Amino acid sequence: MSNRSPGKVGSRLDTHLLRRIVGYLMPYKGWVVLAFITVMTAAYLGPLVPKLVQVTIDREIVEGDVSGLRRMVGILFAIVAAEGLLAFVNAYMTQWIGQQAIFDLRTKVYRHVQRQSLRFFDTRPIGQLITRVTSDVESLSQVLSAGVVTILGDLFKLIFIAWFMFSLNWQLALVTISVMPIMIYATFWFKRKVRDAYRDTRKQVARLNSFLQEHVTGMRIVQLFSREREEMRRFTSINDDHRQAHIKTIFYFALFWPMVDLVASAALGLVLWYGGLSAMEGGVTVGVLVAFIQYARRFFEPIRNLSDQFNTLQSAMAGAERIFGLLDTDMAIPERGEPAEWSNVRGRIEFRNVWFSYDPETDPQDDDADWILRDVSFVVEPGQSLAIVGATGAGKTTIINLLLRFYEIQRGSILVDDIDITSLPLGTLRHHIGLVLQDVFLFSGTVRDNITLRNARITDDDVQKAADAINATPFITRLTHGYDQQVRERGMTLSHGQRQLISFLRALVYDPRILVLDEATSSVDTETEEVIQNALETLMSGRTSIAIAHRLSTVQHANQILVMHRGYVRERGTHQELIASDGLYRRLYELQYKEQEAA
Amino acid sequence: MHSLRRLNVYYWQYKHLFIPGLLCAVASAVFAIIVPMVVRQAIDSIPRFVATYKAFEGTALDAVVYAHAFVSLATFGFVVLVLSLGSGLFSFLMRQTLVVASRHVEYDLRNRLFAKLQALSYDFYLKHATGDLITRSTSDIEHVRRYIGPAVMYTTRAGVVILTALSVMFWISPRLTLFTLIPMPFLAVSVFFVARMVHTRSDALQKQYSRLTSRVQEALSGIRVLKAYAREESEAGAFDEESSAYRHRSLRLAMVEAAWRPVFVTLVGASTLIVVWIGGALAMAGEITIGNIAEYIIYVALMTWPVAAMGFVITMVQRAAASMSRLNEILDTEPSIASASGSEADGSVVEGRITFRGVGFRHPNSGVKALQDISIDVPAGTTLAVVGRTGSGKTTLVEMIPRLLDVEEGVLEIDGKDIRAWPLDILRGAIGYVPQDVFLFSDTIANNIAFGHMEADQDAVRKAASEADLLDNVDSFKDGFETYVGERGITLSGGQKQRASIARALLRRPSILILDDALSAVDVNTERIILGHLKGHFGKRTIIIVSHRISAVQDADQIVVLEEGCIVERGTHSELVDQGGFYASLYLKQQLEQEVEAYQ
Repeated sequence: MSNRSPGKVGSRLDTHLLRRIVGYLMPYKGWVVLAFITVMTAAYLGPLVPKLVQVTIDREIVEGDVSGLRRMVGILFAIVAAEGLLAFVNAYMTQWIGQQAIFDLRTKVYRHVQRQSLRFFDTRPIGQLITRVTSDVESLSQVLSAGVVTILGDLFKLIFIAWFMFSLNWQLALVTISVMPIMIYATFWFKRKVRDAYRDTRKQVARLNSFLQEHVTGMRIVQLFSREREEMRRFTSINDDHRQAHIKTIFYFALFWPMVDLVASAALGLVLWYGGLSAMEGGVTVGVLVAFIQYARRFFEPIRNLSDQFNTLQSAMAGAERIFGLLDTDMAIPERGEPAEWSNVRGRIEFRNVWFSYDPETDPQDDDADWILRDVSFVVEPGQSLAIVGATGAGKTTIINLLLRFYEIQRGSILVDDIDITSLPLGTLRHHIGLVLQDVFLFSGTVRDNITLRNARITDDDVQKAADAINATPFITRLTHGYDQQVRERGMTLSHGQRQLISFLRALVYDPRILVLDEATSSVDTETEEVIQNALETLMSGRTSIAIAHRLSTVQHANQILVMHRGYVRERGTHQELIASDGLYRRLYELQYKEQEAA
Repeated sequence: MHSLRRLNVYYWQYKHLFIPGLLCAVASAVFAIIVPMVVRQAIDSIPRFVATYKAFEGTALDAVVYAHAFVSLATFGFVVLVLSLGSGLFSFLMRQTLVVASRHVEYDLRNRLFAKLQALSYDFYLKHATGDLITRSTSDIEHVRRYIGPAVMYTTRAGVVILTALSVMFWISPRLTLFTLIPMPFLAVSVFFVARMVHTRSDALQKQYSRLTSRVQEALSGIRVLKAYAREESEAGAFDEESSAYRHRSLRLAMVEAAWRPVFVTLVGASTLIVVWIGGALAMAGEITIGNIAEYIIYVALMTWPVAAMGFVITMVQRAAASMSRLNEILDTEPSIASASGSEADGSVVEGRITFRGVGFRHPNSGVKALQDISIDVPAGTTLAVVGRTGSGKTTLVEMIPRLLDVEEGVLEIDGKDIRAWPLDILRGAIGYVPQDVFLFSDTIANNIAFGHMEADQDAVRKAASEADLLDNVDSFKDGFETYVGERGITLSGGQKQRASIARALLRRPSILILDDALSAVDVNTERIILGHLKGHFGKRTIIIVSHRISAVQDADQIVVLEEGCIVERGTHSELVDQGGFYASLYLKQQLEQEVEAYQ
């Protein structure tokens, strides 16, 4: 998709796509109809003014009817005011409709993205997804708001102007309108030229911006390698291209406005000449002439608006294509039509001959494929604890991801309380599992929001109780605003220990039967370490737990230790048993945990 | 506003564009102003023609009278066309000079800004966010440009149109003119307020847009946590809140924008109607002609845009002043690190001896003491290795050698001469620096490697790539050394980037080579190969290696261990292993790691 040039995508007006976009207006069709009515009325009232001015001049002014003049001017004021009001109502209403539809679309796109499985996120850069939800959706807003209504409004404005002119004097109308093809041609010629020129300008602006971005970011390298003179030369040349591209667009604009004026003046000249002659023959009054002088100037605006709208439609198509492309891809984890129930949650976990690869294409029967987990089996009884150890890349984190069903396994089965997790609703499964990650992810918002994750059912009391249970209260009260402290920039303002405790509290207030821990590797100061140690014990007591262990105490106290190596379970047993067997665990222990013993 | 005074030099510099441009603006306005007069003449002549034509109807002369009227009316039409051609030509020339001049000024200003940015030192970049600097060099300059070109152009043209139209109108009928003008001040004032409201509300909309974007960014980055706690619904709810706030702000802006056209049209319409009303009454009294009414209607149409433009111009000037003072902030900053005066090149060459004597440094942002009482002597041609935990001050230490940072306490000498006494380009020219965070430019691999030595030929580039163990990778690319890196080309792996960055430093054949944790993304094997190549340089160049890996530092002539900015251990590999401190435990750990790695 990214390989296609934007111009190529934009130049196709796909009716199917357009219909799908317009579909988002359906919930507001009543308002759309109302917008049509207002735009039509305004389109009629505008050209009515010159017509009434003509009547006033020919009847009241020529005949010297002062009270009649006052009455007519009164009517005209009313019409002008009504037209203004209607134009305002219409402009606002179309924007309102458009924003509602855009809101609906944005909601839909966002929810669609959010429900996708992690596999979807693994293969797509987040930046691209953000663009879909924000700027691509935004690119449709003009089409959804002003688009259709305005196009019709402008078309009718042209029709009404022509109609008034023809009803006043059809010969003069023909003569005046004779310049219209030139006007249309000029406008569309200009639009095409400007679009090409703008495309080039945008390219130059992008070039300039990325050069600046790159060089401001890498300024250190420029200076270290004494490249200032050369980079200045390059910048000057890019800056010059940028200037030239703009100067080119100035040329078109400089040409366009006088051209429009010239065509309008030609119409005016024709009205004076042909109208004057007709007046001599008695076919045209002075009032008609004045009216035509005004009509000759009114043509232009609707024509220009129409060409604008045409361009907006084209550029919206590219965005629409990308959005619908996204909406049509669904990689969410499927849920069973009739899910099993998980009543009486005890918390038994079983992995039965689980094989897993991050490549979804892997042949389940091919033992030599690129498996991350190979034939992994284990059981954790309710209330028991399991510690997983192993070198980086051994497959520890994957086990956690699979238990939470972030990914689907290729072979084997995973059971909780003897129910296959694929038969449970995702929400139910995850509700009973609490996850504590080593890189504590904090959202912007208050500390409390980060503990409850904005779950309204969790009261302040619950939070307080949880904090007391793991002795975290002193850490919270140490913050200037306590629970209401704003967390900024992913919590970088908080200490490592504070962040850890927040993630413990998060797990604790949700009170899950099963606890899944990815312990932090980085050490904290001794005081905090002690608090965290005790907190962990509180957290794990009475719950089934699986921990990717980085703490000596965790492995020492675990009911069972699983030693992972290159996707296999290499050893299993308790700390004492494994140390005694002098295998891989013993080496890992010396590498990762022994130091803590000394401390 | 005084921040804009600085721009006056540009008016002078481009006077060959500004002076003719302003004259064109005047000429264009004058031509436009004559058109309504012709229209009035034409309309007023019609009843006369009709009367004459009636008088001679049926006589032999009626063909002559008709022909006379035909020619006269055609002449009026033609004159209108010619006048508008004249006005159009000058308006074309006006834009081609004034707006073009503003683009020239923009160009100059941006060059000046970029030159300044290149001169400013590292501490400036620590204080300013990249995004902020880019905004200044793009949209702030654009605001200033609008003041220089369009604002000046609108003001001139509007001034001429309004003044001449007003004098003609007053000359015809002061009373009618006064009445016609009633809506004009409202127009100018409402344009001013609407323009300001549009600006504040679109800024607010922009802000909400970034909030919406960062909300999405955050939710998608934390998607694991959201899913794990089944909080998708509530996050979607929070997203809806931001999305709905965005809708609200969009509609607030839409409200002003929707009001803008009707207000404009209604006020112009009101002026026209006043002309019809008061003008009609005056025409009945015989004070003016019907032609005058048509003339006034056109004057009103001619004046509305200039009057409205005045409202825009005020906002433009305000924005430009604010932007210019932001630009001045950068333009007035003096680089804190520059070649000292009197440090001209005296032909001396950097040999490579580096001596720290009691060096101390405090971080400019946090004020934290980053280095304390550092004394090290590195003789030319020897190797120094720096080891320590993250945040122990290793990078700060090596950043002082190319003077990215300047020593605050103590003395740093290169070849026994104070570092400040060396001209900056001679000093930096003698250093090959491989930073911790690799930065390559979106250019070809060859150009990236030859970044610090543009004259290098292909062989030299190949040789440097081979020394950095990058040659096989590059040769496997379809376009070889001409492969583009970054956005426009391929994405290199972390290890490949690091090696390209090493090749870039090696190509300079520097007297001093600094590797700041530059081998972290390559595996131990590759590290061994690269270090082997470097050994070819050992003895010829001074090398400083910062690393976490023992394998990378163990052959160094001296090793220092930093902790919280102080040297806590120093010696050779075997000395430090014997000491049993931080270095020894690191060594032990890495041996175990290798053992686990090899475990079958």
